[in-house]
Amino acid sequence: MLKKAGLKLLLLLSVMALIAAACGGDDDDDASGDDATATETDDGGGEDSSDDDDGGGDTGGDDGGGDGGDDAASSGEPVAGGTLVYATNQSPRHLNGTVQSGLATAVPGTQVNASPLFFDENYEPQPYLAESWEIADDGLSVTLNLRDDAVFHDGEPITSEDVAFSILTSKENHPFSAMFAPVESVDSSDPLVAVINLSQPHPAILMAMTPGLLPIIPEHIFNDGQDIQAHPRNAGSDFVGSGPFQVVEYEEGERIVLERFDDFFIDGRPYLDEIIIDILPDPNSVILGIDNGDYDMAVSPSQAATQQFLDDDRFVVSSDGGDAIGQIDWLNLNLRTEELSSAEARQAISIAVDQAGWRDIVALGFSSQNITGVENASPFYNAGATNYEERDLDRAMELLAEAGLDGGFELDMPATAGMLPTAEFVKQNLEDIGVTVNIRQVPDFPTWAAEVAGGTYDITYTQVWNWGDPVIGVNRSYDCENRIDPPGVIWSNNSWYCNDEVDALLDEAAVTFDTEARAQLYFEATELINQDAPIVYLGKPEAFQIRTPAVQNPPVGIWGVMSPWTDVWLSE
Amino acid sequence: MTGIFVDQGAVDALGSDDREPSSGGPWRLFVRNRAAVFGLFLLIGILVMTFIVPIWYVKDPGDLVARPHLRPGAEGAPLLGTDNLGRDILAIIVYGGRTTLRVAAGAAVLIVFVGVTIGSLAGYYGGRVDAALMRFTEFFQVLPGLLFAIVVVALFEPSFWVITFAIGTIAWPGIARLTRAEFLRLKNLEFVKAARAIGATDFRIITRVILPNAMPTLIVSTTLIMGSAILFEAGLAFLGLADVNSASWGLAIGRGREFFTINWWAVTFPGLAIFFTVLGLSLVGDGLQDALNPRLRGR
Repeated sequence: MLKKAGLKLLLLLSVMALIAAACGGDDDDDASGDDATATETDDGGGEDSSDDDDGGGDTGGDDGGGDGGDDAASSGEPVAGGTLVYATNQSPRHLNGTVQSGLATAVPGTQVNASPLFFDENYEPQPYLAESWEIADDGLSVTLNLRDDAVFHDGEPITSEDVAFSILTSKENHPFSAMFAPVESVDSSDPLVAVINLSQPHPAILMAMTPGLLPIIPEHIFNDGQDIQAHPRNAGSDFVGSGPFQVVEYEEGERIVLERFDDFFIDGRPYLDEIIIDILPDPNSVILGIDNGDYDMAVSPSQAATQQFLDDDRFVVSSDGGDAIGQIDWLNLNLRTEELSSAEARQAISIAVDQAGWRDIVALGFSSQNITGVENASPFYNAGATNYEERDLDRAMELLAEAGLDGGFELDMPATAGMLPTAEFVKQNLEDIGVTVNIRQVPDFPTWAAEVAGGTYDITYTQVWNWGDPVIGVNRSYDCENRIDPPGVIWSNNSWYCNDEVDALLDEAAVTFDTEARAQLYFEATELINQDAPIVYLGKPEAFQIRTPAVQNPPVGIWGVMSPWTDVWLSE
Repeated sequence: MTGIFVDQGAVDALGSDDREPSSGGPWRLFVRNRAAVFGLFLLIGILVMTFIVPIWYVKDPGDLVARPHLRPGAEGAPLLGTDNLGRDILAIIVYGGRTTLRVAAGAAVLIVFVGVTIGSLAGYYGGRVDAALMRFTEFFQVLPGLLFAIVVVALFEPSFWVITFAIGTIAWPGIARLTRAEFLRLKNLEFVKAARAIGATDFRIITRVILPNAMPTLIVSTTLIMGSAILFEAGLAFLGLADVNSASWGLAIGRGREFFTINWWAVTFPGLAIFFTVLGLSLVGDGLQDALNPRLRGR
């Protein structure tokens, strides 16, 4: 009898444990989501290292309130000193942003490295390392006049040779090859003047020389013949940078401690004495740490966290800043799949996917309408483009019939654990037009990336960043030449889309300086793309920052936290 | 239920049965055990819910029927509320039960088939065959169960067959050892010798003479194994290793846990479904134990 009772008790306990586990732990799924991010960044291809993704979105009323308070406070006189503790679950591979994209590297990277220029909230270039700059009338050269008082952390002056070295290193190594592809040479004969010679006009080059995209690294340290990708000085407490803060402690995957660089070239900056970047592998640790008051600032690791802290008076939760990142959530349709090779079929799918519903339900309302591949705050966003926001199932069925697919078909959809809510939502949407989506859960991010890059999928969910200028972040998804044969590259032209007319328009836009003329070209290109419907645009989420009210002048520029925190200060 | 007792005749015909005469048939013993009857009712209830109710409650458990996170009883909400995407939780429980029970039943069949085959061969032949098969069994026995299942499911893609296979692989050694023990006990008894003496083949002796006598023990542990198979399936699904194309109880819990602070019902009701199923199986298992092995009563 005892044994029996024991057995029952055991079973009872195990079920209870299951339920309890259900209530408490959140580890595994998120852990895998997390891995995704980590690997993404680790793999180097991961500009869209995006697990702060889901958080994004249209700023609610709460933000307004938070920001109001913020502004009021920041009207006080800045106070120098203090330590800012920043929490992240993104572990950088190293600090050398000339060879590595992504948030993980860019957050510490923009603190330890300066850039030639800086873009303000209105996308206007401002002086940073370069006091002034001019673009030749023919657009074939850009001249940067550097400050004469700028030095690296080891005391060596920052010269045009360093600028030349940084640009050419980036051109050869950075995943965004479009940034400096037209650069033919950099003339550094005058140590304070760098002349960038271009093979064609390249308006995106100014954006490409801002923090987050081009750090200036010391030529005298990195130009020693070693492979720059694996250079021993890319990370560590002996890192020599050009920015407002210098590295004093570097524990990979754990913490980075930065200290004010006293000889920084802007007088009286930075205000902060110290920045501690605490790297926590688990997003839940970030949430708990914020809740516990351990951190001054963090990027919200999930929508649930955003919601939680929006209701918490102790924190300012704001989606301001980071416009240039321009993340768009979308579904890639693989044009190599026979059923998806006709535009009608893709249009039908685009119509059947309930984009507004996705933003409302899956993104918890933290996402805004974004109907093209250009993000909706950009001057190049075509709000009037053909779109599939209206969910007209009869029309979708008609289109399928035109494509000869009214008998229905099946689509293979690889998804990581973090992508499941979207995948399930889309599966349900497409069932309504007789399309069966077979969700295939893949164990981790690299597996998913390999499948999508290699083209072994029919439909998939991803998030792609605009990176400030369409030349950098938009063209890559549509350019015929960017269809890279397997094993391929993730976030290249993974849909295998090709339209010569679109290519011609994008190429012309890339060399057009006049913003309006350029916008017109992008309007036309995105219109054509939308008619072909290789991609279903779901929405544009924004990353939320969670801060204590003590943080003044938070980094809310176009690059968000990927900007130098020179003006950040702490009130008490 | 009585089908499993049919072999009694064959056993009796061959002579000795090592059981004492009991006070009434197994069924009477079973119904005298109130807990077991309660368990049986639970199981019948679950079976009705998963296989009969759908006849009237025609739903697609994946349908987004209402706003997300509607609590039970809220306006426009289905009976048990909705989950994070606005799916009907009652539909998930009703239809998800099929997946869960199918995996559990599939795994149990696999476990019993492999376990009984290996156990009976080892027990019957003994010697080197026994040594080899038992080392093989031990190899699986020492693997940490859930961990091994996770590895198997993660290596392949989580589909019905992979999950069933993974659960089957980790749980068969218990049955194998149990079968072997029964065979060791039974193989030297008079009626087996008699069968051998009249020239029965090994196959016949194993399947027709010894196995029916080992059945009661095996039936009881099979019932309990189904319970743990359900827990395994739920555990795997909870960890994100489920076939996401078909609803299941574990999957529902796994999906819902992220939102538990704002949506307890999406986790609790599927959890209760698992709870009552496993409880029912365990009570019935105990009842069968008492009914089929009266000598064990009171132990």
